[in-house]
Amino acid sequence: MDINTLLADAKARFSHNSAKHYLREKYSSKLILADQGGLWKADKETISLLNSLDTEKVVLMDTFDNPVEVDRVELLSKLSTIYSETMKAWLKEAQELEGKR
Amino acid sequence: MTRGAILFAFNSLKYDYYAMAEHTAKRINHFLNMPVTLVTDEESLASDSGYKFDKVITVKADKDNIRDGMPWINKGRYQAYELSPYDETLLLDVDYVVNSDRLLKCFDLYEDFCCHDNTAFYMHPKVSQELLSSYSYKTLWATAVVFKKTERAKQIFECLKMVQENYAHYANIHQFISNVYRNDYALTLALRIVNGHTVLPGDIIPWNLLHIGKNTSVYANTDDEFNTEYTVLFDNWQKGKIRKEYITIKDTDFHVMNKDIYVELIKHG
Repeated sequence: MDINTLLADAKARFSHNSAKHYLREKYSSKLILADQGGLWKADKETISLLNSLDTEKVVLMDTFDNPVEVDRVELLSKLSTIYSETMKAWLKEAQELEGKR
Repeated sequence: MTRGAILFAFNSLKYDYYAMAEHTAKRINHFLNMPVTLVTDEESLASDSGYKFDKVITVKADKDNIRDGMPWINKGRYQAYELSPYDETLLLDVDYVVNSDRLLKCFDLYEDFCCHDNTAFYMHPKVSQELLSSYSYKTLWATAVVFKKTERAKQIFECLKMVQENYAHYANIHQFISNVYRNDYALTLALRIVNGHTVLPGDIIPWNLLHIGKNTSVYANTDDEFNTEYTVLFDNWQKGKIRKEYITIKDTDFHVMNKDIYVELIKHG
């Protein structure tokens, strides 16, 4: 790399918009779980629905739009754990990037 | 059930794909803990620097495909099914930087075949998805494919061979340029044909393939062999001037479209 390129690169500014986009790409994939014969996303809608129901077994539409009967508590537990861990990691990295200039 | 990765690497006049394959294989071993089989030709074997692949299979390179005035040896990918020694196989382009264990998730969620249908570009959040042509299908990506040895997966690869052999015909139907053979286009057509001219949701990897694209370069932030942090630098052209922008990424895989950038990356970690 020549000196002019180095100088130009040194003036580069951190792109907060692109970083935000990158974090969304990175962490939304980590919210996906294959379990009990279906593919699930640990998002607030699925977790809220599982929380609001009270039967042992429930039938849910998975992300492929297939109805799947699942053990509600087991799936809720797994999705809640994934959601919590992923969002914490997302927040941590977002805070690290926020400080960049 | 055996599991491993298979890479295809044939050196061109300009690029040492064998070296790229060694780099990618080391990262597959490290991040995915999988053995790697290489499919190459006798000429490319000369670039061997001592890395021990699980298996090296030599085939006759099909130099029929010309890009930028020189052979671009990307035909014959359909052989992955027959040549893979594994029950479950990750077929990966050698310019894909494995930088996390994310691809392992594919083995949990797929039936017997999956690939990407959506891409995203670092620094270009609004780039639209590629189509075969304005009036045709959205492109599927052959960059990362996971398959099991099943009858259906076999049919997909046999169909891939058929599309490769009749590429000009399909290009004519779907109105794309046939001069340069692209595995992505052939896979798009083959998978749709096998699935009755549709795409099954279960065949799609449920996250985006991330590209390092136009006006974008990438640098390893340390010299470690298995560095996981990179700086992505972007030349943002505005009113005839370049505004340099960057982000740092870590623990995230990416596909480097520009081979010159990938070669630099191999040199520095």
